[in-house]
Amino acid sequence: MTSLACQSLDVSIAGKKICSKLELALEPGQLWGLLGPNGIGKTTLLKCMAGLSAPDSGSVLLENQAIDKLPRRLIARLMGMLQQHTVYVFDASVLETAMTGRHPHLSYWEREGPQDKQKALDAILAVDLAGFESRSVTRLSGGEARRLAFASLIVQEPVILLLDEPTNHLDMKHQIRIMNHVEMQVASQQRCAMIALHDVNLAARYCSHILMLLGNGEWQAGPINELLTQENLEKLYQCPVESVQTSAGKRFLPGG
Amino acid sequence: MLMSVGSVFFASASGSVQLGWSEWLAAIQDSSSQHGELIWRLRLPRAMAAWVVGSMLAMSGCLMQVLLRNPLADPYVLGVSGGAAFATLLGMVFGVAVAFLPWLAILGALISILIVFGLARGTGPWSGTRLLLTGVVTASGWAALISLILSLSPDNSLRGMLFWLMGDLSYATLPVWSLAVLAGSFILTLGLARSLNVLAMGETTARLLGEPTRHMLWLVYLLASILTATAVSIAGSIGFVGLIVPHLMRLLVGSDHRILIPAATLFGGLFLVFSDTLARTVLSPQQLPVGVITALLGVPLFLLLLNRARLKGV
Repeated sequence: MTSLACQSLDVSIAGKKICSKLELALEPGQLWGLLGPNGIGKTTLLKCMAGLSAPDSGSVLLENQAIDKLPRRLIARLMGMLQQHTVYVFDASVLETAMTGRHPHLSYWEREGPQDKQKALDAILAVDLAGFESRSVTRLSGGEARRLAFASLIVQEPVILLLDEPTNHLDMKHQIRIMNHVEMQVASQQRCAMIALHDVNLAARYCSHILMLLGNGEWQAGPINELLTQENLEKLYQCPVESVQTSAGKRFLPGG
Repeated sequence: MLMSVGSVFFASASGSVQLGWSEWLAAIQDSSSQHGELIWRLRLPRAMAAWVVGSMLAMSGCLMQVLLRNPLADPYVLGVSGGAAFATLLGMVFGVAVAFLPWLAILGALISILIVFGLARGTGPWSGTRLLLTGVVTASGWAALISLILSLSPDNSLRGMLFWLMGDLSYATLPVWSLAVLAGSFILTLGLARSLNVLAMGETTARLLGEPTRHMLWLVYLLASILTATAVSIAGSIGFVGLIVPHLMRLLVGSDHRILIPAATLFGGLFLVFSDTLARTVLSPQQLPVGVITALLGVPLFLLLLNRARLKGV
């Protein structure tokens, strides 16, 4: 079954076309990379796919149902999104914040049980924040806040993960850690993910498919080994790119 | 926590005629005696009114802070009390009977709620900024009208008006329906408490976690406004309770609304009863408007908290 699909989707922001007639199907087990230069509309497209904003035309289907017809609570049980920025205004502890991922799974008067707490603790451990459980979220560094937001997403247990530049603010170790986690979830639990990335080599290492936004509504989508080529990247980023063969496969460097 | 509610009624036993515990006990058993009458007819209703008003303002403050996503918001910031004050003062000018003044206050508050709601609603997505701006501008509009009334009204009615504006419980009675408003809102808010936690993290985050945020935020706005309107109709605009109490409680019990709301509700009641008792006793038999006391207690407390927050780097 297709988890998330875009049918003839037209999205624009401030009169600028992001994609026109986009056809996309995210199947379980697929890990999609969303590539494109700054300001091309990656975030806007992700928000549209999450049902946060309406497309100009076309539709987004979540498990074969139009997303704008579904209640938010139901959507949240199936799909989660890591936003590009996370700002915590109110004092709350790291554990409490991770636990908010259980929100869509609980009814109004229900409290989180021991299982929910365990899930939150596991997620905190997974993002390397163990020992920070009772720390206030307003006192986390940028990278720590980022990892906490990712932990909340894990706790939410969505089948479809939309991640907007999840590796922002993260050092190399934590970038790998988070990407490994996503890869593991996609592979072992038959989930699917769409990840907006700027690091082409992270995409090369982890993604099975990519969607490239080229501007003026043009796009290309498909398996990564067909699309991630030197010529395509030069066209995408409008700069010279050098391709290097490594033991792990092809990697890319800015050319000169 | 329950101790704090209980102690409220004991605290209210003191006043310009100071009663010892034994006298108090005797008085409370014999409601026909002089002291009994004092307690049953004057002090207890007033203390209960203070408790209810304090609780409402504190709860409303919690809700407003989530609504505007700002820990420094208070129940009056969106002009609810301005509308109530204007309508009440207008009533005073035209010599409306005292018994009807609370109803005028409610009416004024409702008009203000509808104005802000109607103008800020728009068609687009929820905008906290638009709500805040509409509310603040409406509030200053009311303030201007209030100044106009004050400057035009005769000297002999000015005193009563000023007392009312500062927040005064001297004539407060406790309508039964306000208890229903308090209880109903409390239960509803507790049911929504986890949603409030999520809403406090921002609208987009809340939507991604399954909240139908637009409906939810309007519900929070209406709930907060109704609580404020009821409180204002009973006791005028008593400042700082709705700001200080939620803030203090956040420091004490954290930001989980499932604990914060009950804590703020209980402490709000306690705080206002305490302030009102001070207002009656500090210069007794002279009575002060309780709003002055809450402000005198609240301002330094608030500055202290703000300073703490600054040191913490917020």
